[in-house]
Amino acid sequence: MEVDQLQRTFHHYHASLFNEGFLDEQFVQLQQLQDESNPGFVVEVVSLFFEDSERLLNDLSKALDQENVDFRKIDAHVHQLKGSSSSIGAQRVRDACIAFRNFCDERNIEACLKCLQQVRQEYLLVKTKLEALLRLEQQIVAAGGASPM
Amino acid sequence: MACTSGGKSDVATVPEQFPVGLRVLVVDDDVICLRVLEQMLRKCMYKVTSCSQATVALNLLRERKGCFDIVLSDVHMPDMDGFKLLELVGLEMDLPVIMMSADGRTNLVMRGIRHGACDYLIKPIRDEELKNIWQHVVRKKWNEIKEHDYSGSMEDHDRQKRTIDDAEYASSVNEGADEVLKTQKKRRDSKDEDETELENDDPATTKKPRVVWSVELHQQFVSAVNQLGIDKAVPKRILELMNVPGLTRENVASHLQKFRLYLKRLSGVAQQQGGLPSSYCGPVEQNIKLASLGRFDIQALAASGQLPPQTLAALHAELLSRPPGNLVLPALDQRTLLHASLQGSKCIPVDQNVAYGQPLIKCSSNIAKQTSQPVMSNEDVLSEFAAWSSKNLGDMVPACNFGTEVETNSNMLISFIQQQQQKQSVIPEPGRSINVQPSCLVVPSQSSPNFQTGNSPVSVNQNCGFRNLAMDYNNPLLQSNNSSGAGQNMEVECKPVRMHSEFGTAASVSSASSCSKNIQDSACQRVPSSPSTISVVMQIPTMNRVPSSHSGKPDLVEVSTRNPIYVGKGPSIPSRFAVDEHELPMSNMGQVKLYAENNGNKVKQEPNDLTENATLKYKTSWLHHGLVAVTENAACNWFLVSIVTDPALIRQNTNQEVESVRHAYLYDFGSGSSVAVRLVRHLKGVGRVKGGAHIFPVANCKGWIEKKWVNRTRSLGDFWQKVALLV
Repeated sequence: MEVDQLQRTFHHYHASLFNEGFLDEQFVQLQQLQDESNPGFVVEVVSLFFEDSERLLNDLSKALDQENVDFRKIDAHVHQLKGSSSSIGAQRVRDACIAFRNFCDERNIEACLKCLQQVRQEYLLVKTKLEALLRLEQQIVAAGGASPM
Repeated sequence: MACTSGGKSDVATVPEQFPVGLRVLVVDDDVICLRVLEQMLRKCMYKVTSCSQATVALNLLRERKGCFDIVLSDVHMPDMDGFKLLELVGLEMDLPVIMMSADGRTNLVMRGIRHGACDYLIKPIRDEELKNIWQHVVRKKWNEIKEHDYSGSMEDHDRQKRTIDDAEYASSVNEGADEVLKTQKKRRDSKDEDETELENDDPATTKKPRVVWSVELHQQFVSAVNQLGIDKAVPKRILELMNVPGLTRENVASHLQKFRLYLKRLSGVAQQQGGLPSSYCGPVEQNIKLASLGRFDIQALAASGQLPPQTLAALHAELLSRPPGNLVLPALDQRTLLHASLQGSKCIPVDQNVAYGQPLIKCSSNIAKQTSQPVMSNEDVLSEFAAWSSKNLGDMVPACNFGTEVETNSNMLISFIQQQQQKQSVIPEPGRSINVQPSCLVVPSQSSPNFQTGNSPVSVNQNCGFRNLAMDYNNPLLQSNNSSGAGQNMEVECKPVRMHSEFGTAASVSSASSCSKNIQDSACQRVPSSPSTISVVMQIPTMNRVPSSHSGKPDLVEVSTRNPIYVGKGPSIPSRFAVDEHELPMSNMGQVKLYAENNGNKVKQEPNDLTENATLKYKTSWLHHGLVAVTENAACNWFLVSIVTDPALIRQNTNQEVESVRHAYLYDFGSGSSVAVRLVRHLKGVGRVKGGAHIFPVANCKGWIEKKWVNRTRSLGDFWQKVALLV
């Protein structure tokens, strides 16, 4: 019972994330890559994503805080963040990165700062959602069900 | 007997169901991406190795050559530009590389393609895209095979084809493979046809205008490669360095690929020969006397497995040219430094930074008999050679498997070394010893057009055929540059020196016969007239058939219909490396300058003087026991024989020889599919052979070797055995 319930909640939540644009097809790919030989794949990748993104966001705020802003460096960071977010399917984060890069090209510090804020916001959002999703999964498995991933 | 050349390693071992087990290397600094890709590739049943740093990946590729089938690389990486990695991988390992990036801008994709990427994937990458990356591996192999076709490497081709066929059939298990199978089958069939045509030396089948890699061109190429360093030798940069109008990057790229295959083949062949000492202890010399650099030397070296491709490349370059002090091979250890010692006197120390010489690997059956002229006039050479530990030499097993003779040679070498160590200036043996120079690559299809019809071989009594060759080679350069420039470009191999030693000192040059004069004159004439520009069909400027101008007595060989003298023009140069051509006698600048003056210069009396008469282009490299192939068609199996394109040289050289010197010459008679190579023994240049397209008895002719056989045989040992039977 409980398992079914949990499963349903999971699927619901899962669908909503896609509907709201937090996640895209790529995340499904990740899920498909997970199998018996690699049971914790999604968790692993998502954790990597969290680590990497936080590091990048910190680097970005530091870089923008400089006297002489090194836009090439910033661009590189943003590019990387864009890459990793698109790799796991964090769609909104990726889109925010794209916008960020454009302002970076224009060398607009103000706009960049705003973008950074935006990116960070999106990141935190998707982080919360993913953590919630993964927790649900954990619960299902703990309750004896098969991983819905 | 058919030995697998180095190319074998290129052929991926085809697993049961291709593309299962495809060995992929993924390089990406983004760990998330890397992890995801890794997993995706695993799901495709590929064998994945992942790497987050480009430099690490490159090292991995270098260390484990042949362990990967394909590389996936990100474009933006902190330690190395993805495109740079792309080019390096393409150059060094010749693996297909797929670029990836989140950035899908057209200009970037274009860059990727231009740098040689097989494909460009935009992140995020879907697993369907990865499923099909095996196509790039297959495609590349097919193209390689196609290229090899022209060189007539039947076995390689067959083998590779078989592999591909296996893959084909295997993949037919997969979806849609049937179509692939069919098309590949068709391709193969058509390839077969092409092959037969090529085999028949029918140039008419060659449709696309091919860049003819003339000797000069190749020299330029190799010097460019050396300048850049084999690691960094990117087609684009090579092209720039070469600065040849009409040459495209693609030409250079494919030539480079072949070059690398050639080097690999050297190692492969050499390994077949077995027996080469595993350690060459060569002093790191600043001045390398490339005197005795012979292809065979390289082969022998390669065989020892001591030579990394870079070394081989550099050596090769050395053979060809002497880029002023540029050949610094990375990470060469002592062992890989070869000593270009035994060059005879003619070998003038080349001022190069390349610190390697060639080992004397020679097993020349005739060495014992050959009288040795005091070849070593160069102190440098001597000292270099002296540096060789006699032990090493003793260890050296001649590449050719001539039993006792080998021993003799070894002994001779040893004694030679000892002599050297005593700083004696006479090195009898070296000349004879290892000058095995693989002949030109065979270009079956190209042979005929290159034949100078109606040219009778001019027997020019020139001292060094090669010198002439060298000059010839450099002629175009000469023309285009000034002598100084030409000097630089002069790639006179010291190898000729070897020949000198075998044939006596160059001093005899002075006794130029009228013929030689003629040649000289004609050569001179030619020089000016030869077009020095290189067009798609590279013409060797001085190709002017000297013979044609010399209706005079061909002493050596009279080829009624064809001119056995190789006029390296036209599309004859096979796609293989005509290594022969590179084996221009190396001479130092001094000599080169002599050549430079070739136009109408008198033959100098100096031993080292490569006769200016060298209007003819010679590709001469003496086999370790003095087997020289005289052929108009530069396309002989390069790793077997070296070519002399002017029989007259033989004659002259023969005259120079001391009595007991005996050489065997392979004379190329006729052209077309039935080119036969005759084995002629010349004693004191007496032999006179009339050639023709058909086998016929000729005075002093010891036997016949079918050119096809020569082309096909991959084993130097086999070749020698055959020769030994005849000689």
